[in-house]
Amino acid sequence: MGTHKITTQDVTFKVFRFNADEDYLPYYKEYKMEVTSEEVVLDILNRIKWDHDGSFSYRRSCRHGICGACAIKVNGRATLACKESMNDMIELFGNEITLEPLSIKRSVKDMIIDKGDFWEKHAQVQPYLVSDIEDNPESEHLVSPEEAERLLDSDICIQCGACHYACPVVEVNEDFIGPAAFAKAYRFEADVRDEAGTSRISEVNQEAQGVWDCVKCYECQEACPKEVNPIEKITKLHNMIFTKGVAKNNVATRHAVGFKHSIAKHGLLDEGELVRYSEGNIGVIKHVPVAIKMFKKGKIVLPWNMPKADKLDEIKKLVKSSSTAKF
Amino acid sequence: MSIPIYTYDAVIVGAGLAGCAAARELQNAGKHVAVITKLHPLRSHSGAAQGGINAALSDKDSIELHEFDTVKGSDYLADQDAVEFMCQKAPETIRWAERMGAAFSRTADGKIAQRPFGGQSSPRACYAKDRTGLTLLQTIYEQAFRAGVKFWDEWYAADIIYKDGKVSGVVAFNIRDMQMAIFNAKSVLFATGGYARSFKINSNAHANTGDGLSIVARHGLPLEDMEFVQFHPSGLSGNGVLISEAARGEGGRLFNSKGERFMERYAPNALELASRDVVSRAIMNEIREGRGVGPRKDAVFLDVTHLGKELIMERLPELRDLAITFLGLDMIKEPILISATAHYSMGGIPVDIPGHVRKNNDEFVEGFYAAGECSCVSVHGANRLGANSVLEALLFGRFVGKTMVEEIDSIPLRKATQEDANTALNEIIWILNNNGNETVPALRAELQDSMTHNAGAFRTQESLEEAVRKVKELRQRFKNIRIADKSKVFNTELQEAIELGHMLDYSAFIVESAVARRESRGAHYREDYLERDDVNFLKHTMAYMDKNGDLTLDYMPVTLGKHELKARNY
Repeated sequence: MGTHKITTQDVTFKVFRFNADEDYLPYYKEYKMEVTSEEVVLDILNRIKWDHDGSFSYRRSCRHGICGACAIKVNGRATLACKESMNDMIELFGNEITLEPLSIKRSVKDMIIDKGDFWEKHAQVQPYLVSDIEDNPESEHLVSPEEAERLLDSDICIQCGACHYACPVVEVNEDFIGPAAFAKAYRFEADVRDEAGTSRISEVNQEAQGVWDCVKCYECQEACPKEVNPIEKITKLHNMIFTKGVAKNNVATRHAVGFKHSIAKHGLLDEGELVRYSEGNIGVIKHVPVAIKMFKKGKIVLPWNMPKADKLDEIKKLVKSSSTAKF
Repeated sequence: MSIPIYTYDAVIVGAGLAGCAAARELQNAGKHVAVITKLHPLRSHSGAAQGGINAALSDKDSIELHEFDTVKGSDYLADQDAVEFMCQKAPETIRWAERMGAAFSRTADGKIAQRPFGGQSSPRACYAKDRTGLTLLQTIYEQAFRAGVKFWDEWYAADIIYKDGKVSGVVAFNIRDMQMAIFNAKSVLFATGGYARSFKINSNAHANTGDGLSIVARHGLPLEDMEFVQFHPSGLSGNGVLISEAARGEGGRLFNSKGERFMERYAPNALELASRDVVSRAIMNEIREGRGVGPRKDAVFLDVTHLGKELIMERLPELRDLAITFLGLDMIKEPILISATAHYSMGGIPVDIPGHVRKNNDEFVEGFYAAGECSCVSVHGANRLGANSVLEALLFGRFVGKTMVEEIDSIPLRKATQEDANTALNEIIWILNNNGNETVPALRAELQDSMTHNAGAFRTQESLEEAVRKVKELRQRFKNIRIADKSKVFNTELQEAIELGHMLDYSAFIVESAVARRESRGAHYREDYLERDDVNFLKHTMAYMDKNGDLTLDYMPVTLGKHELKARNY
């Protein structure tokens, strides 16, 4: 590509319009424009406002991918408008482009949504370093480069909300803290300077709102424009819940423990045993009808017929060396 | 309709580094404080700073050297008492930010890492990869939030309440529903940021429309050194988005269309690490003389390929990302296209070191403070060195916050009345109802074009007079605007109109101050007066606007010190 040559293409934009004060229902408006290879999505939003309709509204500020204000959806895909080149969008989706807010049901005006829930979740996870701060310290904390790297770029999350509104659990469970706030919780849990003890990690360990309700669909990773990779941080928080000793005996934690035991024992996943671990010896009874059906179709084996992996010894060593969690 | 009046000890406008740092001090001292921001605090432009924050931390460096570099960089226009204060307080400020949680890059032995920057005698810029501003903004906001500061997000500050030499509050409206409110307070801090948005090619956020400056100027209070606008050498070709000086600090080289490393001609010793005004003019000159590159021949090459993939990914990952997004060029594999971009405003609301706003050369406004880029203290003089701006914002924001804590109990609260909102209310009603034939985007584009062409990196009497004429014309035409959006929900068109009014007003200060300064000093470069003229112009411009919008210029002496005036070579 490059800008040694500037090319142009005709594009039709279908744009979500809604004004909470005036409109009963949202509608879509079409704008046809000649788009140059130098432009990003935010340039298009600006041109719609400045050349076509001054009432068109959206959030924006830094215009180079660092303030997080301008996240919207382009053809259903979460996008930071100032950081997404139009050429890439046209290559992906063709010459008809739909522009919508991150969450249609939260739209207040056009691309602008009410992010109140997002900031409430952000506030919920102690989004700050817990530490006594001297007014005039004579030295800094010493933090080795390796310790600094443990943040795994979670500190570059710009709170754009793309992952939060792409998360299907956020959509159906209003208590769920959500991927951005989990990444924030990880950012401080991973910081060697933090002294929050177990208060923050306990918050993300709570049932219904915490990390155990993540369905591991990877939508947050897909949506993130900064490659913060929230699901990686969620998984790290799962581990930290065990290493920090705040894990509670519930279906989710037992599921994780069962997983590990099965791999350590067989080198393979024993799905029948996993259910017994998760649900307990009594709870497992309700799954018996399903188990029988699965057994008939050859999807599970009886416990005494469970095969072993070829290189079980090596797997056992791996499990031992990689496992720092107290199960 | 009655307008609610909220009463606070202190009200802060702007939630970047300076605003948040001051707010935290006030809150921790038990003062009742509100922060008003037209964005969310985490969207503030402080977060866009990339390369670093200066402090003489290492054994090989010294505070005195930091002072000298800053004074020399300022082309001797900085006030040396303010520079001395800043450089002395820099190390403890960095360590305090670190203690609060800033995620700095580290040396092998765990200390804060530092990199070289232009015009500096020693590697002095502490950094967090190329996201230094982001980590600092997040950290100070997080700790202000932790302390319990009340933030009024997406509220637009429209006016101050100023009477008889005292400021006693702010008039603002909620951008979401246009509900207006009066924030009555004993003291007010402006930390509203910079004003480079009035130039066509600029590195600034859309929000940097200099609102705070014009609000102050409209009350007849002075603005200082407004002619000094810094042009950063490396904006991305076409849109001016910033490529941090860190790219040159880490060893980046500049080339013209003939493959010449042209900085050898302009700054034989410092090369690419000369001060910003020197490198910017060199680039602009290469382009002017036909040795530009790129599809419009309006750029030069910035080459970092020799640094290697590993170092680029470790220290400049955001920059690489930006060049891929906007140019489609990967700096690991190929040089990228850059040119000078309007970047930083050295001038602003005149203040003394503790942050009191000046009423004139000798008097101060009671209950009114300013800090950060909107203020002029002046530590940057005619040209700021890289990595001194985030330092200034964080350090003075915090220090002015402390000043406010000390003084607040001795400042009486002057009770606000409904009438105090009249100016702001009338402005909104006028914009909503005015039925002219001019549009905001068209006027803004004409302003930005004229400022870039006539008051840019190179200036002459003729070009500046043209800029003065243009600004006058646009201010007249502004009276004839019309907006399409009459609604009360997120009326961003109304907001843009108010902002354009501010841009036009402070731009008048830039060009009228510049036309009167018949010398070249730092970022203010006159092709018809090539030399610095210490006899006539070693002084700060103090400009005042009257009720008709006309300007008068006055001057104020520069505070000199131990660093004697010298020619400035790099």
